[in-house]
Amino acid sequence: MGSTGQQQKKKSSKIIAVLLLLGILLILSIIFSMKSGYTHLTFHDLLRILLGGGSDKENLVLFTFRLPRIIIAMLVGAGLALSGCIIQGIARNALADPGLLGINAGAGLMVVLFVLLFPTKTALSVFTLPFLALIGAGLAAVLIYLLAYKNLEGLSPLRLILTGVGMQVGISAAMIVLVILLDESQFNFVTVWQAGRIWGASWRFVIALLPWLLVLVPYVFFKARVLDVLSVGEEIAWGLGVSVERERRILLAVAVALAASCVAVSGNISFVGLIAPHLARRLVGPGHQILLPCCALTGALLVSISDILARTLVQPSEIPTGIVVAVVGAPYFLYLLAKSGR
Amino acid sequence: MNSITTKNLAIAYDESIVVEALDMKIPYGKITTIIGPNGCGKSSVLKAVGRILRFKTGAVYLNEEDITTLATKEIAKKMAILPQSPTAPHGVTVGELVSYGRFPYQRGFGKLALNDRKIIDWSLEVTKLSELEHRSVDTLSGGQRQRVWIAMALAQQTDLILLDEPTTYLDLSHQLEVLELLRDLNKKQGYTIVMVLHDLNLAARFADYMIAIKGGSIICHGTPDEVMVPHALKEVFQIDAQIVKEPRTGRPVCVTYDLVR
Repeated sequence: MGSTGQQQKKKSSKIIAVLLLLGILLILSIIFSMKSGYTHLTFHDLLRILLGGGSDKENLVLFTFRLPRIIIAMLVGAGLALSGCIIQGIARNALADPGLLGINAGAGLMVVLFVLLFPTKTALSVFTLPFLALIGAGLAAVLIYLLAYKNLEGLSPLRLILTGVGMQVGISAAMIVLVILLDESQFNFVTVWQAGRIWGASWRFVIALLPWLLVLVPYVFFKARVLDVLSVGEEIAWGLGVSVERERRILLAVAVALAASCVAVSGNISFVGLIAPHLARRLVGPGHQILLPCCALTGALLVSISDILARTLVQPSEIPTGIVVAVVGAPYFLYLLAKSGR
Repeated sequence: MNSITTKNLAIAYDESIVVEALDMKIPYGKITTIIGPNGCGKSSVLKAVGRILRFKTGAVYLNEEDITTLATKEIAKKMAILPQSPTAPHGVTVGELVSYGRFPYQRGFGKLALNDRKIIDWSLEVTKLSELEHRSVDTLSGGQRQRVWIAMALAQQTDLILLDEPTTYLDLSHQLEVLELLRDLNKKQGYTIVMVLHDLNLAARFADYMIAIKGGSIICHGTPDEVMVPHALKEVFQIDAQIVKEPRTGRPVCVTYDLVR
């Protein structure tokens, strides 16, 4: 028993090390992100501005432009990563992700429709956006669920993915049709949204997004054990006393709400929900009690770093963050596919 | 006393009816094996009893209680069910998987209590897996893996375990190893075991009680000596079987058979 006790200790200290490392990297990325951009700030400047000694211009740059954007990037990364982790758990499919299933697209369609109908960004609209996105994402999810659900057999993971992909293609087509109806500025908005530019980078958006995550994220952590058991398979889960259909619906709804509230402010950032859970699983294993927090940190880090690159690579212009994530993410995803194929 | 009773049970997939009006009794404290040809509905019956499959009409009683009146978590404290060849999530360790058996007893964030820990250790010990606790399930052999699933069921602390073909994909010695483990659990710990088995001779060797199903109905039931008789096997499997009493185990064995023409 001595050796197994040691192994246990070794494993938990490895997990602590991983979480610590992710935390440190995240803090570093925040500092770096605050420094870089059109106006470069040195570490010294940064300290001075944070302590209240900045000029009006410096304060504007840091507190009004950069900080909310950094926070949004991290929140969105964590939210999308958790959403992907939940969907992968309940679909028992490592390729599931809110982007792939058309949930993001559903949210996007509503956002686009809203911008089409109410072109001015009023304070009210900022807070209604997550709700609208949720309606769009929710409708897409319900439709996918109904199409993938078969009486007596329940929800088959394969059918879920197939209908999801179909849904995503369908909604993207609808968006293209809508684009034809748009004037130039609205057209720009839609393309920017689809590419995943963090467009809602102000404190208003932070305040619009934060309550969603404050409610949903603890709830997801609360459901870690259910996710563990569901990921072993439907029949085992029933045997262990999980109301499989009920739990799956609840968790799917939570995943949809997470994805919708995030993409409402960030645009369609895909791949985070796919890659972050993969990376996290490799780091800490499949147990959700540790996987979920690790996944949230990984997602936050991923989007945060991508956003630094998005803002600095082609100055003075910027690349949409979603594109950067995709450029980083797609090769990794292909690597995963190739590895699992062998 | 019966562990499980079904009354007038009917099971259907979409439109096709698999089982119609099944009355079945599973005796308490015994090993019961269910045999029958492919597609006879034996797995469906097991799943319906284990509430994995919703049945159409009729009733299933677990220790004389209607299972539709019990919360699914409460059922999980009385009855464990293992489907045919389950797959573990990639990278999960033996200890983690066995700990999932404690799910019906956990609340809230699901931290394992000292008592849970003890029961998990006991389950690992009984199935001779203590040494492998920190190994990833992916790296185990088929026989070891089957023992892990059984350990998970033990951690559920039920007195009844249902198993759907627990010997699938196992070689001869590992088949025996798994079945002997189940027999030990029955004899030493008093578990009631119900399993669907494909292999007639293994079913007869390990069962106290056998149920032969064909076309969703029970053709015959009783001790292996009562069920393993040529006329019964002819009706159930369409075979002309030669049965002898095997001297080593004292159980009936089908030594050879032909198709009935």
